[in-house]
Amino acid sequence: MFDWILDYYNWRVTIQFAPEFARGITATMWISLLSLVLALIIGTGTAIMRMSANPLLWRMAAGYVQAIRSTPLLIQIYVIYFSIPALPLLDRRLDEFEGGIIALGLNAGAYMSEIIRAGIESITKGQVEGAQSVGMTYLQRMRYVVLPQAFANVLPPLLGQTAVLIKDSSLVSFIGVFELFGAGLTVLSERLMPNEAFMTVAVCYLVIYGIMLQVSNYAQRRLGGARA
Amino acid sequence: MTIQISFITIVCGSILGCVVGMLRTVGGRPVSMTLGIYIHALRGTPFLVHLYVVYFVLPSTGVAWLQLEAFPAAVIALSLYTSTYVAEIVRAAIQAVPGGQSEAARSTGMTGLQTMWHVVLPQAVKLMIPPMGGIYVIIIKGTSIVSVIGIAELVRAGEHATQRHPRELMVIYGMTALLYFAYCYPVLRLARWAETKFGSVRLPS
Repeated sequence: MFDWILDYYNWRVTIQFAPEFARGITATMWISLLSLVLALIIGTGTAIMRMSANPLLWRMAAGYVQAIRSTPLLIQIYVIYFSIPALPLLDRRLDEFEGGIIALGLNAGAYMSEIIRAGIESITKGQVEGAQSVGMTYLQRMRYVVLPQAFANVLPPLLGQTAVLIKDSSLVSFIGVFELFGAGLTVLSERLMPNEAFMTVAVCYLVIYGIMLQVSNYAQRRLGGARA
Repeated sequence: MTIQISFITIVCGSILGCVVGMLRTVGGRPVSMTLGIYIHALRGTPFLVHLYVVYFVLPSTGVAWLQLEAFPAAVIALSLYTSTYVAEIVRAAIQAVPGGQSEAARSTGMTGLQTMWHVVLPQAVKLMIPPMGGIYVIIIKGTSIVSVIGIAELVRAGEHATQRHPRELMVIYGMTALLYFAYCYPVLRLARWAETKFGSVRLPS
């Protein structure tokens, strides 16, 4: 009865390759998580640099953001993966996993820095002045007053950017990282069954996206319809 | 080749996106829900997956005109991808036009289409222009991915060059990045300019 479906989508193959897909999802999650952490660090640093009064600092930050925004991620991945081993300070070759995470982190960091900057700018001056008047140093003000509010304000767009990051992580399969899309490529090359390979991958990404959407909605509700 | 693909895609994607976006605002619940699913499905999956689905999965349906060559497959996948972004921009812009505008137009006896064409769209277009620049940059960067199904665009050209001169790897990828930068940066600047020009447009409320 279901034979005609089997022609298009043979779920037995999918089940047979289930361990690959599971490993792929785990890897995608790890890559996304690690590059998210890296991106948040880079993004916050860049945002603070970008707002500094020192022209050298903010020009450097702005140049970095522009450079990332106007070149494709694929090229960034290639450049970082192939170029970092050429730097003298590393005596070993970066493996493709690390290279991929650095490239993704640098890429997402540039976009996130713009979001975080908007968040920091949304904090009223009175907050900073208040913190100054109780004797907080610059770092304390950032750590305890400005950044917590800034992040709360821009959490929804940050989560959106994270969803983009998860999708973008599919590109690191081209430097040989095994993740969700790589699992699809494995099925394609071993069985020549593109339907089973890529429809499954698409569904997996959709599920991840759906979860992200729910988290984002929840965050938005918790923050009372976020003002940012 | 990169310029060619991005240009065709910008045109196709924008038209498709405008249609989807407009249908979503004027259509009834079932229409807007169907299109909502379309937009979410495309936004929830990486572009790379769309490309592989269009290029590898569609031909297996057995329909003759879905046996796509690499070039049309790339253009179709990119256009679909673009259309979801454009659709959301168009929808947001149309919804940003105050309801009183279209109510007033309807009360002077205009039909729904006339209202859309003469009253709502001219105002909405100004709101659409700045974010469109960002979308075009996304498309241009998206073209880099189609190299994987064997289209000789900029990245592919770079890869060929690396095979001929493996020692100049850095230089070649650096050059490729620079070329993209030279293509995208003006578009980004243009978008910024459009934002300052149209961003301050105040809608009558």
